[in-house]
Amino acid sequence: MENSLEIKKLSKKYDNFALENISFNLPKGMIMGFIGENGAGKTTTIKTILNIVQDYTGEIKIFGLDNRQNDKKIKEDIGVVLDDMFFPEILTPLDIDKIMRGIYKNWDSSLFKNYLNEFKLPSKKIIKTLSKGMHKKLEIATALAHHPKLLILDEPTSGLDPVARAEVIEIFQRFIENADCSILFSTHITTDLEHVADYITFIDEGKILLSKTTEELLEQYGIVKCNKDDFQKIDAKDYLKYKKTKYAYEVLVENKKEFTKKYNIKVIDKLTLDELMVLMIKGEE
Amino acid sequence: MLGFIKKDLAMIKSNFKLLGILIIIYTIMGFLGKMDISFILPFMSVMIMISSFSYDNYNNWDAYAITFPDGRKNGVKSKYITTILMVLVVSLITLILSFLISYVTTKSINYGETLVTMLGTIFGTLLVLTIMYPIIYKLGVEKARMAIFLIVFGIVIIGGFLVQYIDLSVITKSLAFLENYLGLILIIITILMVYISYKIALHIVMKKEY
Amino acid sequence: MEIIISNSSGVPIYEQIKEQIKEKIIANELKENELLPSIRTLAKDLRCSVITTKNAYEELVKEGYVKTIPAKGFYVAKINKDIIREEQLNKIEELLSEAIHLAKASNVSRAVLNEMIDILESEEK
Repeated sequence: MENSLEIKKLSKKYDNFALENISFNLPKGMIMGFIGENGAGKTTTIKTILNIVQDYTGEIKIFGLDNRQNDKKIKEDIGVVLDDMFFPEILTPLDIDKIMRGIYKNWDSSLFKNYLNEFKLPSKKIIKTLSKGMHKKLEIATALAHHPKLLILDEPTSGLDPVARAEVIEIFQRFIENADCSILFSTHITTDLEHVADYITFIDEGKILLSKTTEELLEQYGIVKCNKDDFQKIDAKDYLKYKKTKYAYEVLVENKKEFTKKYNIKVIDKLTLDELMVLMIKGEE
Repeated sequence: MLGFIKKDLAMIKSNFKLLGILIIIYTIMGFLGKMDISFILPFMSVMIMISSFSYDNYNNWDAYAITFPDGRKNGVKSKYITTILMVLVVSLITLILSFLISYVTTKSINYGETLVTMLGTIFGTLLVLTIMYPIIYKLGVEKARMAIFLIVFGIVIIGGFLVQYIDLSVITKSLAFLENYLGLILIIITILMVYISYKIALHIVMKKEY
Repeated sequence: MEIIISNSSGVPIYEQIKEQIKEKIIANELKENELLPSIRTLAKDLRCSVITTKNAYEELVKEGYVKTIPAKGFYVAKINKDIIREEQLNKIEELLSEAIHLAKASNVSRAVLNEMIDILESEEK
């Protein structure tokens, strides 16, 4: 399968933080959820993909092209929503439309205005007067109106209420109806992703912990809940992480089916991405 | 590129009301003979452009603009182009107003002298702005404010010192033959100055990490 | 076409989609050569991931209920009634043998089992 985005061994050092050997691929036509705690390195990774941070080692390819050598060409086809980065707040949505016509070859004013209508955004009010939710929606409309092939979204649902979240997620799914389009979607609200993301990439302390299809994670991974005696019978190589709670052991296993074949332990649950995140970060090896 | 210029112009436009009021106040003071109207240019240009940079900084526009095609380069280029456009427009307005004021108050217009004064003011204004921009791009508006203040203050002190304690007549005399070309020389120096400042700012931005 | 997905049933979503489309094909609600929604449209409408609907369709193709025409989409295949009957008999057999196995293990007699079937059948009606 062709990849929209390929990251190989990306590393970037700061004084108190580092991205270490980040590698993952986003296949064309797919939505990838990029999850991790605040400060795990999601935003820094996204900034390097976009060359906002450009001094790094490793390789980043977008649409099969090196992102530093083909910057201009690639960016015609990328739409972004970034945390805390946008147009100066004294401009209006109408200004944005006029400006963007002079920035992207493919800027589609009528599409942009359709989004403004759909999101009920006033076109003549300055950005400063918009609520946080409306501000985010304006950022999303701006990211979509030049018919990009890759959307890079850093926390696009933060500040949105559940109804608005459902609304924008539907728009992302509409976007992906075109099989040439892909989305990289970072968030710490994992319920947004559980159903719609095809892939989940999980980053913690600057390292990728896993990058897999959502189905594999939700259908194959599981949480075993058992007492101490049972836990001691489990071979260390048969689980990923475990956490001891007051009343029981919670054990993260990679393959529910194989685990039940081998062990006679009754309680084994499907897992949610939230539980996965907590166990991967807080659990013991 | 065009989009970037439109954006910077739109930001200046949002200051229009305030600018209009200032121009009216200055003009009235000019008519009353209380103020030299050529002060409008440096005062307003610096104010408008610093406010434009502040708004950009506040929403991290420079970083956001990098996600557009050729965003780093075009961001800087457009700031310089809009600055020049603005300086020319404001100069034209001031020029017309000074002709008007001098005609109303003295019934005569000294075209040559007014033009040279204007040229000097444009030079001075662009000198301050071209020193400012690379510093702002390097440090951000907040930190740059202090640095700019120190530099402008330094220029004034040193200038004052030179005029006061050093006999400049030697230099003036030896340069006297240039007097006829003063306007042309000023224009050339101004263009060079803007160009060099642009190159430095661009270099800073192309390397910058946000 | 109605497809109802439960997120808490424990049955993988792609399997729920697959089974429900299959039922509709067997019941002739979806007719031979009828065009099915594309993988992406279905994913959008069901609010699930593209990979999920793709898996469901791939399984349906593998089992012979759906055929794919490249660059056009997925169509309901001509289904072989005998094969479907065979498959359903197999499934019934499988479920019954499990019931018998359990009955033996817990000492439930054949008579009780027959009675259960009668009761369940009358309830279905």
